[in-house]
Amino acid sequence: MIRKLGLIAASVVLMNISAVAQDKFFTKSGRIEFFSSAPMEDIEATNRTATAVLDTKTGAVQFSVLMRGFEFQKALMQEHFNENYVESHKYPKGEFKGTIVNNSDIKYDTPGTYPATVKGKLTIHGVTRDVVATGTVKVDGDKLLANSVFNIKLSDYNIKIPSVVKNKLSNNIKITVATNMEPLKG
Amino acid sequence: MKRAILLVILAIVLVLGFYAYREYYRKNINLAQVAPEVTITAPELIKAFEADSAGANKQYGGKIVAVQGTVKSVEQEPNAATIILGESGTMSSVRCSMDTANVAKAATVKEGQALTIKGSLSGFNQDELLGSDVILNRCVIATN
Repeated sequence: MIRKLGLIAASVVLMNISAVAQDKFFTKSGRIEFFSSAPMEDIEATNRTATAVLDTKTGAVQFSVLMRGFEFQKALMQEHFNENYVESHKYPKGEFKGTIVNNSDIKYDTPGTYPATVKGKLTIHGVTRDVVATGTVKVDGDKLLANSVFNIKLSDYNIKIPSVVKNKLSNNIKITVATNMEPLKG
Repeated sequence: MKRAILLVILAIVLVLGFYAYREYYRKNINLAQVAPEVTITAPELIKAFEADSAGANKQYGGKIVAVQGTVKSVEQEPNAATIILGESGTMSSVRCSMDTANVAKAATVKEGQALTIKGSLSGFNQDELLGSDVILNRCVIATN
């Protein structure tokens, strides 16, 4: 009798654990902004269609963004961005594959905001570089909000700035990532 | 005589300057006012990319495409909305990120509704885990 009760209790506990602990989270509408500040001009663009997956067990994180999805205020800038700078017809995607190095510090089952450091490989314009970024992971109900701000150098990715626009486009670009992820079912 | 030539040159410079200014500050045009370069159904568009994504990217990438399909779902956020077209039960879809001016309209769209959406084709996100999607930006609902 006690053994039966024990088995029932164990299976109830196990079922609850699997219901609460979702392993993978994802979004298909992640927001990625980039910002350049130069003496003559500030330029910014937003992409609202980034795909991201986060594995809470391993801390593995992956991002994929279509370069053509970056939206600028000025149409001419958007065209130059695609045709001349990132050459999106040749390299349609930007990708990041990495891991949250302090993943064990993040309590995914407890609401709160946790600092996170991510290390991985960023590929833009066909060039892959090691990147380290810091940010936060916020556990909010069954959603995960992952945010980060980091900088890259265009020259690292073979993106050349013509001397004519030297004062309008900075080689140092600030990238802001904001995602609202939900559990991946199945 | 000299004065006349100077005035003509000045006029030309002003006109060129005006056009340069307009071109520099030109905003992305609202696609409601633009005729689509391609009209296609959502299943056909998805199939084209699944069969040959590089070829389909060359063919449709960056073009204004009108996609006819059934609404699978609508995602709404404070300042953004995405209408997802596709056949229910399939993993792949056409995701249309609405133009900021048209976000409110997306609230009136219902699942299962037949719709034509015009947008600029950004590309294809191939993903076995999440399902592959064709992505369109600056989308507007094309009145049927």
